[in-house]
Amino acid sequence: MTRLLKSIGQLEWLRNEIRAAHPEDKTVVMVCMTGCRAYGAAEVFASLSRVIAEKNLAGVEIRATGCHGFCAKAPVVAIEPLGVQYQAVSPDDAQDIVEQTLMQNRLIDRLAYRDTRSNQPVFYKNQIPFYKNQTRRVLANCGRIDPTNVEHYIGHGGYEALSRMLSTMSPEQVIDEVLAAKLKGRGGAGFPTGQKWKLAREAKGSPKYIICNADEGDPGAFMDRALLEGDPHSVIEGLMIGAYAIGASQGYIYVREEYPIAVQHLRIAIDQLHSLGLLGTNILGQGFSFDIAIKMGAGAFVCGEETALMASIESRRGMPKARPPFPAQSGLDGKPSNINNVETLANIPLIITHGSRWYGEVGTEKSKGTKIFSLAGKVNNTGLVEVPIGIRLKEIIFDIGGGVPKGRKFKAVQMGGPSGGCVPREYLNLPVDYDTLQSLGAIMGSGGMVVMDENNCMVEIARFFLNFTQSESCGKCAPCRLGTTQLLEILTRISKGQGRMEDLDALRDIGKTVTETSLCGLGQTCAKPALSTMRYFLNEYEEHIKERRCTGAVCEAMVISPCQHACPAGIDVPNYVAAVAKGNYANAVSIIRERNPFPAVCGRVCIHPCETKCRRGELDDSVSIRLLKRFAADWYYDNMALPEHPFPVTSRKKVAVVGAGPAGLTCAYFLAKAGFGATVFEAKERGGGMLDITMPEFRLPRDVIIKEIEYIERCGVTIQYNSPVDSNHTVNDLISEGFGVVFIAAGAQASKRLEIPGEDESIEGLYYGLHYLAKVKEGDPISLKGRVIVIGGGNVAMDVARTAIRSGADAVQIFYRRSLDEMPAWGKEVDEALEEGILIHPMWAPNRIIQADGVLKGVEFAKSRTVFNDDGTSRLSVDKSNTRIVDAEALIISVGQAPDSSFLTKDSLIERNLWGSLNVDRNTLSTNISGIFAGGDFTTGPSTVIEAIASGRRAALAIENYLNGCVARIAIRDEKTCLHETTGLALDGEVGENAPRVRAHRESPRLRRNDFREVESGFTESQAVAEAMRCLRCDLEKERR
Amino acid sequence: MNTQAPHIDPQRLESIIMNHEVGKWALIPLLQTIQEEFGYIPPEAVMPVADHLKLFPSEVQGVIEFYSGFSMKPKGKHVFKVCCGTACHVKGSRSILTSIKKELGINEGETSPDFSCSLETVACLGACFLAPTLMADKEYYGRLSPTRIGSIVDHVKGSREDEKP
Repeated sequence: MTRLLKSIGQLEWLRNEIRAAHPEDKTVVMVCMTGCRAYGAAEVFASLSRVIAEKNLAGVEIRATGCHGFCAKAPVVAIEPLGVQYQAVSPDDAQDIVEQTLMQNRLIDRLAYRDTRSNQPVFYKNQIPFYKNQTRRVLANCGRIDPTNVEHYIGHGGYEALSRMLSTMSPEQVIDEVLAAKLKGRGGAGFPTGQKWKLAREAKGSPKYIICNADEGDPGAFMDRALLEGDPHSVIEGLMIGAYAIGASQGYIYVREEYPIAVQHLRIAIDQLHSLGLLGTNILGQGFSFDIAIKMGAGAFVCGEETALMASIESRRGMPKARPPFPAQSGLDGKPSNINNVETLANIPLIITHGSRWYGEVGTEKSKGTKIFSLAGKVNNTGLVEVPIGIRLKEIIFDIGGGVPKGRKFKAVQMGGPSGGCVPREYLNLPVDYDTLQSLGAIMGSGGMVVMDENNCMVEIARFFLNFTQSESCGKCAPCRLGTTQLLEILTRISKGQGRMEDLDALRDIGKTVTETSLCGLGQTCAKPALSTMRYFLNEYEEHIKERRCTGAVCEAMVISPCQHACPAGIDVPNYVAAVAKGNYANAVSIIRERNPFPAVCGRVCIHPCETKCRRGELDDSVSIRLLKRFAADWYYDNMALPEHPFPVTSRKKVAVVGAGPAGLTCAYFLAKAGFGATVFEAKERGGGMLDITMPEFRLPRDVIIKEIEYIERCGVTIQYNSPVDSNHTVNDLISEGFGVVFIAAGAQASKRLEIPGEDESIEGLYYGLHYLAKVKEGDPISLKGRVIVIGGGNVAMDVARTAIRSGADAVQIFYRRSLDEMPAWGKEVDEALEEGILIHPMWAPNRIIQADGVLKGVEFAKSRTVFNDDGTSRLSVDKSNTRIVDAEALIISVGQAPDSSFLTKDSLIERNLWGSLNVDRNTLSTNISGIFAGGDFTTGPSTVIEAIASGRRAALAIENYLNGCVARIAIRDEKTCLHETTGLALDGEVGENAPRVRAHRESPRLRRNDFREVESGFTESQAVAEAMRCLRCDLEKERR
Repeated sequence: MNTQAPHIDPQRLESIIMNHEVGKWALIPLLQTIQEEFGYIPPEAVMPVADHLKLFPSEVQGVIEFYSGFSMKPKGKHVFKVCCGTACHVKGSRSILTSIKKELGINEGETSPDFSCSLETVACLGACFLAPTLMADKEYYGRLSPTRIGSIVDHVKGSREDEKP
């Protein structure tokens, strides 16, 4: 029915006809047929069409549309005017959608979006947070119209801008309107579009060309693709307006060959426009002539650069030229040319139709309008997002994007691809605009946003981008050709663990030179990924160089399997998991003991960094490594006798260890294993240190600690209880008693004070966390009655609160001065506390303690809030005018612990640092005095059990070196055990992906809160074997190759 | 399976070249047409293309080698393109590449001796929401994991063979 439109009146007549034929109340089922195709959208479409035909639903239109944006939930189907959106639709769902929703207006629960917190269904598109928080202007048609049907576009107001412009505006007026709209180029550099057009308009020469740059090559960006596939006419209309403004009669669209659907949709669109007379000579009878040709790229990233792009259109090698002359003076074929990006052009019709005033209603002072971002990487809601410029990054990633999956920690967001940089967590509160991002070392770029979590390595990311730019450098100018190669070589060296500290300066130097001297944007920006990661994650570079450790557990040269690398103690996890799978439980424990003499303790209370990094977690759930360790250890103590013989003593040298906590005992164990005599001096009558003092019985029963210590003693470690090292028996005394080395691991057992008015330790009802826990563990429960307040947000605070509720408190409330997200306590402990009925009040800071006659009456809290500094970082501000008094019978303060070094004599020459602990070399744990070492919480402040164990082993290795007269630095490498198991486990058999982790039994909160029974039970044997079989054995990957 | 290196019909090649317009900027579109037809640009095409477009053979060769989209080596019947874009990289495309190398028995940039499969890597497929992703012939496969590679390769090889008469 297409016909030649000869006047503006005819176009408007056609529009009215189309609108009459498609009344707004007509039911339309929209199926995304571009991005969602990979998930079987075509089958869904066919199946829906078939069922609709079967049911004879004449009034229902089924429409193949472009991208709906919510790619994470593909395939997506929307139903208008109902406003419903269904996700993850399969062909089998068609019957229900038609029969229930279309015919009976009934909503289908299983296809609805689920609220991430409440898990309640959200049926209506405009209520889904992903859409609710967006401002979809440019993408308004995308996902609503059939991109292969020009009538849909016209019916939705398409080519209205064109007809308005042709009938009422001069080219200068168009340029003025675009200038007034403060539209900046969306392709990367952000040059004002109106300005660009003005220069092209004023340039002398003819013909002039206008080019649409659709060579979207930035890895991580796909908004141009979605626009071309889902709404090609909006881009074409923008191109026509630009042509009119600058005076061009020929346009080119340079599109990547990797986007076949985009090319196809553009071809269809251009054909339709030819037959409508909207392209060609004398368009709509207004004397404007314009035509468009499509040019396909041939796979060269540098062709995104405008001079290179023009060379490529001319069928030459796509190499950039020096500027000036600028394309506006001498571009394609030496004629004045103008290049705009796809998204920029798609903004133009909106500006002309609605005016610059409307357009400028959103955005910042300097740049108006919206920007489309492609959200990808480690984020829940991947997809296309359109937001006002100036929105906070946090809103995009967390409110719209739904945050980082699997409860992992956000690390950084990469913006602008190979020309851009990373923005770390601290700056998420800053507005997204061109200038702010520039100042952070990132760029707006084309809008690619790749989210990275704690399992990504920033050195590796920089290497990845340099690898890309190095291979895409065209080679014309030396700085870029050689600079990218050098940068890549250095980064590769660092990621292989062969870096030197001088390399960091070299990276900066070369980066600066390449940036300043390269010919085109590719070279001028290629160093940014390296420089920006060095700016924010220098510690990761240093760890790679100095310790050969990769925080993200990614770099292949230093990582055998991520779990082992993530473990501070470096246990060969895959092999002991395999040993469990094979039923060799004793072997499993032996493998663990190679690095950690506390298998049963860690099987209960370890924070398991290994599980966070587990590869299986990428498939479904990570392997439950901690519970496997617990099972093997419990089995060992139940079935195996303790060792009969200690490790043979092969050296006459003796070592004294101060403190029988995890760090001290681990050090002594490994020294004994190495053949040295090791004696531990413990002030208390029992060993275990912090494990014994603070870990409540319901998390770590005392007999578990006793068994582990007994085992260590049987291995040849002597423990002298009730033997404090203090002014009566000093470190120097130990040395004169014949100990060649002293290792101090006295823990961090002094409770910190709040330092607020009324904090008087003599008040009845006021306790400090560690002291309280210790009393309870000693079997001298301080009987708590009534209401108990706990102040703090760490693990000790959780333990205190949960202990309080078990020892008679009526109600326990935790007050924490920061937000819930910032709580240092582990999620599992917080959840269990909440289950047990403990209330947590975040954002309340203690102001003063109220007492009457020496008896506690309550605490006054002041509301705190997070304020943002100008640089985007946040700090806490306490509002002293907004207070509340909470009455209570008891108050337990657990706001942190500090090492207590008071036992060291005043005249001791051991160097201390500012906060009272000892100054040690982080690598060898040696103090300034030869032969004296210190480690564990005593030097680091409160940390984790596994960190303390790792510190103890490090000390043992350093002391062994010292005693053998070796001065080398300690290198803790991942090593495979000699007790290896060759089973491939999950990959051996046909274990599907749908094998979620096995859950261990946990006592119900109602029962467990009344006594000190252990909350969590271990695995049964069959559970343990089944869980162990889930391991993918990624440690064998290299051997398998 | 009995696939061989594709045979180039010289007459077909000549007619493609001769029927192509000589106008300005014609080289890349012509090369694209040739590659579309044969799956690669046969070395014997360089001279006639240069003659036809009045270019030096070195210019033609230069353009072919500059663009990664052109190949002068024959490709397999099925082309697997593993995306190595940022999003895919961040989500573990390296282990996908490792598994598919193992599955196909060839390295990236190689074609199997029987010309059944080629393996390539691409900078970005623009399908970051599917990460990690690969493209087999014209189909996208997304949210991959190493365990799925085997069945995808079987599917691609198998389904296309079924279609063949």
